[in-house]
Formats: sequence, structure tokens, C-alpha cells
Amino acid sequence: MKPRLIIGITIMVLFTSLALYNLSQSISSYVDFEQAKTLDGDRIHVIGEWVEDKPHGFSSEDMTFSFYMKDETGNTHRVEYAGAKPNNFEDADELVVIGSMRGEVFTSHDMLVKCPSKYNDPSEAEFTSVE
Amino acid sequence: MIGIVGNTALIIAFISSLAAIVLYYLSAKDNNRNFEQIANFLFILKGSLVFISIVLLVYLIFTHQFQYYYVYNYTSRDLQDIYLFAAFYSGQEGSFLLWIFSAFLVGLAVIKWTPDTYRTPVMTFFSLSQVFLLSMVVGLPLGLFDLGASPFRLLADEMADAPIFQTNPDFVPVDGSGLNDLLRSPWIMIHPPVVFLGFAMMTIPFAFALAALWKRRYHEWIYPALPWTLGANLCLLISIFLGGYWAYETLSFGGYWAWDPVENASLVPWILGTAGLHTMLIQRKSAMAQKSSILFAILAFVTIVYQTFLTRSGVLEDASVHSFVDLGLYNQLLMFILVITLVGLGMFFYRYKELPSPGNEAPIISREFIMFSGAFVMFMTGFVILLGTSTPIIGRLVVDNPTPPEQEFYNTWTLPFAVLLAILTVIAQFLWWKKHDAESLSSALITPTLLASITTIIAIILIDLDNLAYMIYLFAAIFALFGNGQIMMGLIRRNAKTIGGTMTHIGFAVLLIGFLGAAYDRPMVDEQTTQYNQAVLAGEVMDDDGYPVTRTIEFVQLNKGEPKLIDGRYKVTFVDAEVTDHNRPHEQLYTIRFEDTQGSEGTFYMQPVSYPMLSNSSPGNIDWTVDPEIRTGLLSDIFMYVAGSSLAEREIERLNEQTAREAGVDQSESLSEIGELGPEDQEEEDLPRLNIAVDSEVEYGDFTIRFDHFTNVTPDDLPENAVVGVRANLEFVHQDTGESYSVQPLFAIIEEEGEQYAFTPPEHIDPWDAHVEFLNVDPASEQIELQLDGIEATEVAMPEEEWVLLAAERKPLISVVWLGTFLLMIGFSISIFRRWADQKKREAREREIGEPLGFTEDTAGEIEDSYNGTPDSPSVETGPETEIDSK
Repeated sequence: MKPRLIIGITIMVLFTSLALYNLSQSISSYVDFEQAKTLDGDRIHVIGEWVEDKPHGFSSEDMTFSFYMKDETGNTHRVEYAGAKPNNFEDADELVVIGSMRGEVFTSHDMLVKCPSKYNDPSEAEFTSVE
Repeated sequence: MIGIVGNTALIIAFISSLAAIVLYYLSAKDNNRNFEQIANFLFILKGSLVFISIVLLVYLIFTHQFQYYYVYNYTSRDLQDIYLFAAFYSGQEGSFLLWIFSAFLVGLAVIKWTPDTYRTPVMTFFSLSQVFLLSMVVGLPLGLFDLGASPFRLLADEMADAPIFQTNPDFVPVDGSGLNDLLRSPWIMIHPPVVFLGFAMMTIPFAFALAALWKRRYHEWIYPALPWTLGANLCLLISIFLGGYWAYETLSFGGYWAWDPVENASLVPWILGTAGLHTMLIQRKSAMAQKSSILFAILAFVTIVYQTFLTRSGVLEDASVHSFVDLGLYNQLLMFILVITLVGLGMFFYRYKELPSPGNEAPIISREFIMFSGAFVMFMTGFVILLGTSTPIIGRLVVDNPTPPEQEFYNTWTLPFAVLLAILTVIAQFLWWKKHDAESLSSALITPTLLASITTIIAIILIDLDNLAYMIYLFAAIFALFGNGQIMMGLIRRNAKTIGGTMTHIGFAVLLIGFLGAAYDRPMVDEQTTQYNQAVLAGEVMDDDGYPVTRTIEFVQLNKGEPKLIDGRYKVTFVDAEVTDHNRPHEQLYTIRFEDTQGSEGTFYMQPVSYPMLSNSSPGNIDWTVDPEIRTGLLSDIFMYVAGSSLAEREIERLNEQTAREAGVDQSESLSEIGELGPEDQEEEDLPRLNIAVDSEVEYGDFTIRFDHFTNVTPDDLPENAVVGVRANLEFVHQDTGESYSVQPLFAIIEEEGEQYAFTPPEHIDPWDAHVEFLNVDPASEQIELQLDGIEATEVAMPEEEWVLLAAERKPLISVVWLGTFLLMIGFSISIFRRWADQKKREAREREIGEPLGFTEDTAGEIEDSYNGTPDSPSVETGPETEIDSK
């Protein structure tokens, strides 16, 4: 073994461990609203679906877009998203809101809109209404 | 029928590519030309069949045959032709077809231009990747499982459980579910094909590296592989650029890069390919770095397959904005990545001991060592991005349901690598063109170091930079700019054909400077909001419940015609909003005027757009989509979109009413059949009413209504039990025609069983078939109340406030990012031509000599010599080994 190879491998190993450690710090877990209440920080990820029949809209007073979201366990909470309604929002079959619980309201500063409807199989339910 | 033909074509193509592997293998093993010819025939047959199936798929799409799942799922009747065409690769199955076909075209070029020694082994490995790709679309039922998902499968088979197919197996939907509106952009015509061309080309260095390992010819493969690697890198670069530009300009992702797994899917192979290019260049010069050239060539393709696996297997479903959902191909994709990795790395380690090692290590101050270090840093950069992208898998070691890492993770780790790389480019370039020792190198680097330091300090003061990491980063980027710039000036004077590499380094430096701009994106808001935001950031703002507000406001509300001062310098006015059908139905076009109070930019207009996206998946639900407007500037862009407006709210209401009406048509018709439910009684509330004083007139709709005087009614003219009555003498004058009509409606009080009622029979207004009713009279003011039926009010301009909510952002240095990318592209292109010409010259010489070059002791000696400072042989390096930086 040549010294440079050893140095190279050592750098790689050190570097990989450091990167992995840092990576583990910078990821978190998808949770539901109940879990979100117990967590600190403002980068909590909650997955859910938009509840269409409850009111939603943009308030130009506090510049937030609010809507109701049902998480995977079926709990529904209001979400206040700091921004305009994202593109494809209505079409999304899954939302990931990132933020924190404030009492019963989830305040979100980031939102991922999963809109795989066009990359994806249409749901079979959709076909019941097609004539 | 067509579907069966298409499917059969794919199955035959799959079988012929399997057979081609075997024949290429046999041919390569025994050097059998006959086998090779049959294999080539099979390869071309496979390509033609894939082409036919693409044509058939396009035909099905254009003829709207929605009984096919693919056609139903990705197209609809309203699509324009270009999007119908693009739809053939907008879905997962079709995009595999496009990839296979691109690879086929590239494979033809390989067959035509690859030297004999490598051709058949290269094609063996090339075909291996083809077999896997074809297996994804072949749609072959194999008893236990289906191999691949065919684009020709029927909707009825795909949704066999849907109720509609249980009742009516022949059901064909009238319309498809359509292409996502966000994909309806001209970019879809060019972006995906370039991506797949890049993927296809990256297969070649992989196949060459494996061929080299197999045939134990570890050196010469880099000559033919180099132009292909450059080509693959150019394609990936263009596709990354196009994707970034598309995201920025149309998709309102807010920027050109978001470290999304799909974006990383092209970036990591590009970085590893670039690392491979550098080690190949070392190898070319000095017969070193053979191991790493082979390794990087393998890894570049392995990462392409790995990222394909990540994005298409459904693993990333939660992590990416635009990953695909599993089509049941998980196992096949897993096999693909496992086989490619095992074959690639397996062969590498199998031959590892045999691989040539340089007798003595290159000194630290040598282009070999510096370039190798650069390649190593690139490898680590690619590796760390790969780690981040892999969180859905490796994150499970730490937490359940892992989220993707914060963007901070990527930014933090790539920044120091970028700094290292920037500095290494300069040192490597100085060493590449002239041999230096430590001392001469330091003196040569004094000029760029000084220049870069001065410029950096000026820049730090000018832009008020206060982040140490950014300062170092900026210095490194500027240093790379000056250092490489100095080299390039020298090269242009001597031999402009050789500037390719140097130009890519300048492009890289420019890119790095441009990236810094992203750290200084800022919302453009008015003074009041700015102060509010500062207070928020300082933690001074609390909401009603006592929680600190952490969200800054990034919008500005503008009332029509009322300018606001934004970003401290622009007087911004909302001029107009209109609904046009210009690009899309019911598109809203906003006109915003900017006046630069500092004068340098004058007055300009921006016209952001928003439009309703009618989605089939949720009928009646209107999805408002924004199309941002960008004003491109030399140093910074203004990025703007409309977050809401009075017009949008009215439009939503109108469209909702329209859908409600359309949905309610049947209901109202059935109601009227049941019997007259007295629509008058129902509608009375909604009829227009107006007050009018005696001896005055009122304008209403197209009419002027004049109320002259009251006429008392004698009890004889009144109905029986009326107590009192009065008539109003009215005159209706049509404003346009001047035609007039007089009418005297009655107002009477009737007493019945001790109670009083108003009796107000409607009077007919003959010429216009309208009615007027005298509802009430106010004796004090002598005003009367009338109710009109049949006279439409003109749109009375309600004094409603017209407003728009703008989200505008100042994005610095975007143009610089594009400029850097273009320089990289140009640099790569120049290099491709140069390396291609080199390879042709080499082949010509080989034909002269009659044996392969670069394998004999002589050549090895020649390369060694060139490293020791004697002039390169003309075919190896045409560049000048002269002092270009001496005074």
C-alpha cells in the first residue's frame, strides 16, 4: 500500500462518516399532527391530504393561504401556509407541509405539492364518474 | 390491433437484443466477424422495431384512442400537436422508449466509428443496458409476473376492477385525462430528449471501460471514449440547464435549482463523468490514473441507473416534487442497478491487481497529481449529493419515514468542495501548459492571486458581504476566473483550438460567482413591509395567541392606479388586468408598471399571467396556476407572479357559478316539468327596485324613467275593498331610440278582515314587454319605490376596489449563472471537436503503422518523455508547451 492511497482512503472514510453524521442531523421524519404537537423546531414535516369541502383561501391581510388538511391518521387541522397557493394545489393527491404546530393550527413556511396525477395511475374511483 | 402490433414489436426487439448480447459476446470472445454481423443486424432490427413502436404509439395518441391506458392517461383531445407528440415520452413507459431509441442511435455511431479492437466487447456491454431498458416496456407476461409495463396495454386491463369495466367491458372514455398543464411548455419538446441522449451517451464510456477490463487493454480505450464522454457531459449539462431554466421561467419553482432528486439524477453523473474526463486526460498524457479512469467511467453510468431506480421505483414518492410512481417495475429496476453495479465494479475488482500502476508516484506539484486531486474532489462532491438523494433508503437507519435532507445539507457540503475545485483548476491549468516546480509555480500564480484578492475585497465592500465562508468562496471563484482567464488569453494567441478545457474552467468560475447570487434573493416589498419583516426576523412580532411570528411577508398589495415605492427604488403601479384567451382560455394578463426612481432603468412594464387549469381528476375544481414574469437584467433579475387579485376572485366566482349552472341544468329542467312553481313568487326578491322622487328622473339600464306626478284615484276606479289608492304617472324613454311609453301603475291599500294590505298590480310596458310595479310610497319625501321586471340594468360600475397581490423577488446574478453554463457548453463543444480530430488522426496513424498505438513500449516512452518536458508528439497534444505567463 502506498502512503498516498492510505491517506486517500483515510480522507474518504473520515469524510463519509462526517457526511453521514451531518446527513442524519439534517433529516427528520414524516409525522402526523398529533406527533407534530410534541415536537420542537419549525421544520416538522406532516403528510396529508387537502380537505376539499372545508373553506380555504388566501388572506391578503396576513398574507397566508389557509386550508384544512387531513393527516394519515385521519386528524384534520387547519394549515396556514406563508405564501400564495402553490401551483397544482387542487390537483395534488398528497401534500407535505413543513412548519410547526401552534395550538390547533399548523403554521407552514414550506409546502411540497405531490402532483403525480399525470405521472401516475388515475385512481379507480375517478372512473365511476366518467360517462 | 395496433396495440398488439406495437407490443409484438417490443417483444421481438427485446428478444433480438438478448440474442445480440450473446452474439456480440461470442464475437468478441473468438473474434468472429460473422457473429458480429448477425449481432449488428439484430441490433439494427431491435432499433427499427423500437422505432416502429414509437410511431405506432404516436399514431394512437394522435388518433385519440383512449382505450389504451397510456393514451388515456397522458393526452386529451384539446392538446396541440406538439404536446400530443411530446406526450409519447411524457409518461414513464414512453420515456423508456425514448431512452432506448436514443441509445440505439448512439449505438449505431459506436458500431460505425469504434476501432475494431474494442467494437464487439463495447457492444456487448452496450446491449446489456439495452436489454434492461427494453425489459421495462416489453409487457411480457411470464406466468408469475409481468415483465415490464407496455405502453400499449389497454385501459380495461389496467383498471379491470373499475366498476365501469365490470358493467361495460368495451367502454372507451370520450376524452383522456390530459397532459399536466405545467408540462405544456415548448421546453418539453427539447428537454427530455437531451436528457436521454446524455444518458445514452454515458453508456459508452461505461461499455468501453468494461471492454478494456475484459480485453485487458487498459490504455487505448480512452482515445475513442473521450469524445463520447465529453458528448455525454455536454448533453447532461444542456439538459440540466434546460431543466433549471424551465423551472425558473415557467414553473414558478422560485429558482433554477432545488436539489430535487430528479435534478440530482443528472447532476451526479455529470460530476462523475467530468471527474472521469480529467483522469482520462491524465492517462492520455502520462499513462497514469488508469484505474480511476475506468472506475469513474463505470460509476458515471452506475449513478445514472441508480438515480433512475430512485426516481422511478416509487422509493422517492414523498421526497421529490416530480418523481414517478411505481409502475410495478420496482424489482426490475432493482435488478438493473444491481446487475450494472455488480458487473461494473465486479470486473473492476477482478482485474484490479492486473491494472497498471505507475512505477513512481507523481510529485505533488505536477499536473497529474493536481488533476487527480480535482477528480477526487469531484468524486466526493458527487458522492455527498448521492448520499443526500438516497435518504429515503439510508435515512431509515436513523429514523422512520425519513424526510429528504434540508437544502442546507447540500449547500454546506458542496461549498468547500467548490472552493477546492476552483483553486485546483488554476493550479492544474498552469501545470498543464508548462512544467513548474513549487517556486516557479508560486511566482506564476502571484498575478492572478493579487488580482483576485483586490477584486474580492472591492466586491466584499460593494455588496456588504459579511459571511466568511462566502468571502472565501468568492475569492476562490474570482481566482479561478483570473487564473484561467490568463491562461486562455495566452492560448488564444497561440492556438485557439485548444481553449476548450480552459474555457470550461472559466465557465465554472463564472457559475460559482453566479451561484452566490442565490444567497441574496430578496423579496421586493414596500418600506412598511420591510420594517415589519425586520421586526419578525428580530423576533419582536407576536401573533394574537402570543406566539412569535416567524414568517416574513413577501407580497405587496397594489390598488389599481395607486403606486407604491417598492424595494426602495421602484414606483410600481398596477395598471390593468384583463382576461384574454391569448394563450389559454380565460388567461388573466396583468400589467404592472415599474418606474425606476433612481433613473437608470427608466420605466418598464411587467406582465405576469395566471390562468385556470381545469383538471379532469377533480371536475369543477379550478386550479389557478401562475405563469411568472421575469425581467432579465445583467446583474439581477426581477421575478414576479400574481398571488391573487380582485379579477381572479371574480373569475373564480364566475367559473364556479358556471360549473354549478352546468351541473344544475338537469335539475331545473325537471323542476319546470313538474309544474309551474310560481317562478314570479320565487324571483320577486331578486327583481331590481329603485326609488324615485316626484318630478324627477332616474336612469336605469337603457331607459330614462321620469316620474311626473301622482294621480289620485277615485274610489270608483278602485277595487272593492280598497281604502285608498294613488297612481304614479311614469314615462319610460329608451335612450337609444328615443321611443317613449307612459304608464300609470297603481298603489292601493286594501282592508280585509281588519287587516291592511298593499295592492300593487304590475303594469305592462308594451313596447319592451316589461312590467313595472308601484311598491310603496313615502309620503314625507314624496318618493316612490318601483320594481322593474324585464328591464336589465347595464353593468353598473360598482365602485369596487381593483387590487392585485404581487410576489416579486430580486434575484441577483441569474444571468451570470446562464453565462457560466453557456461558457461550459462552448468549452465542452470545442473539446469534443478537438478530441474527435485527435482520435481520427490516431486511427490514421494506426492504419499507417498497421497496429494499435498506445500499447507498445515506444508509445509509453513517448508519453513519459512528454511529461518530462520534451514537446508532445503532434498527435497527442497540439497545445503549446510554451511560457504563456512570463513577462
